[in-house]
Amino acid sequence: MTRVKRGYTARRRRKKIRLFASTFIGAHSRLTRTTTQQRMRALVSSHRDRSRKKRDFRRLWITRINAVTRKERVFYSYSKLIHNLYKRQLLLNRKILAQIALSNKNCFDMIFNKIINQK
Amino acid sequence: MAAAKPTVSSFFLTLASSSNDPSSSSPTTVTALPRSRFLSAGSSPKFSIAHSKPSFVTSSSPPRHKLPVRCQQQQNPPSIPPEQRWMFEESEINGPDIWNKTWYPKAADHISTEKTWYIVDATDKILGRMASTIAMHVRGKNLATYTPSVDMGAYVIVINAEKVAVSGKKRTQKLYRRHSGRPGGLKVETFDQLQQRIPERIVEHAVRGMLPKGRLGRALFTHLKVYEGPEHPHEAQKPVPLPIRDKRMQVQK
Repeated sequence: MTRVKRGYTARRRRKKIRLFASTFIGAHSRLTRTTTQQRMRALVSSHRDRSRKKRDFRRLWITRINAVTRKERVFYSYSKLIHNLYKRQLLLNRKILAQIALSNKNCFDMIFNKIINQK
Repeated sequence: MAAAKPTVSSFFLTLASSSNDPSSSSPTTVTALPRSRFLSAGSSPKFSIAHSKPSFVTSSSPPRHKLPVRCQQQQNPPSIPPEQRWMFEESEINGPDIWNKTWYPKAADHISTEKTWYIVDATDKILGRMASTIAMHVRGKNLATYTPSVDMGAYVIVINAEKVAVSGKKRTQKLYRRHSGRPGGLKVETFDQLQQRIPERIVEHAVRGMLPKGRLGRALFTHLKVYEGPEHPHEAQKPVPLPIRDKRMQVQK
C-alpha cells in the first residue's frame, strides 16, 4: 500500500462539529473532544425532547385549565370540566382552552357556563 | 391580553354549536377540527399557518461572530382571505400568533412589587392542610398564568405560627430530624419541643416540603414570611386574607 497522509479530512469533520457547538459555554465550544461529546448529548436531548415537548405542553395546559376551573367554581375541577366537555361533544382541545383562559377571560367564562348549564 | 370581544367568542360558539348539529350551514362553519383558523368549508388549506419558528442554519455557515437571531426578525403575518377578515380582530391579524404559541410570561408579567400579598392566621389550623394551600399560592398554581419555570406566585404571610395545630398524637410523637453532617450528628426533637424553641420553623418546614426542590423552589420559599404572634412588618403591602377552600382546615373542638 502507498503511504497515505490523513490530510484535511479530520479537520473538516471537526470543523462541522465545532460549528454546531459554537454557541456552547466555555470548553464545550473550544476543545475538540469535549465539543464532540457535547454535540452528541445535545442531539440526544433534542431527539428525546421532541416527544417530551408534546407531553410537557399538554401537562402545562392541563394545569392552567385546572387552575382556572377551580377558581371559577367551588367543587369543580379539570376532570369534571373535561368530562362535561366530552359529554357535550365540544371539540375544543386543551391548548386552545388554556390560551382562551389566558387571553380572553370573558370568552372562557361563556364556554364554561355553556358546559356547566346544559351538561 | 385581549379584552372581551364578541367576534372571537362567537367564532368558538358557532364551532361549539356546529359540532352539536352537523346539519347547520352557516357560512362560518368549518368542516375540519379547528387547528387552523383559515380552513374554509370544503377547500384545501392554501394559506400558511403563521410560522414563528426560526429557520435553521445547518450546513452553510455564516461568519462565527455574526449569527442572526431569526426569531427576533419580522414574522410572516397570518394570511387571512378578505372574506373572512371580519371574523378576526386587529390584534389577531397583525399581532403575534396566540393560537400556535403557548403563552410564556415576559418580565413585565411577574414583577415582584406588583404581586399579591396574602395573610393567614395559623391559630388552630391543621398544619399540613394549611401548608398545602400556602404552597399552592406561593407557587402560583391557582393562576391561569401558571408557568413551572417562572415565579408567578404570590407572597404569603403567616401569623400566630406558634398556635398551629396538629391532629392525633402528633404533638408529642411527630419527630423533626436534622443532621449536622458529622458522624453521629443526627438530632431529633418532637413537634412540641420545636414549637417551644423555634415555632416558625414548623410552618416553614411544612411548606418547604411542599414547594419544588431546586433553585426556583428556594426562591419561592423566600416569598413565605412566618411570624410568631399577631404582628408582622408588612402592613405597607396591604395583605389580603388567603382564600381557604378546605373545609377540614380548622381544628374541630
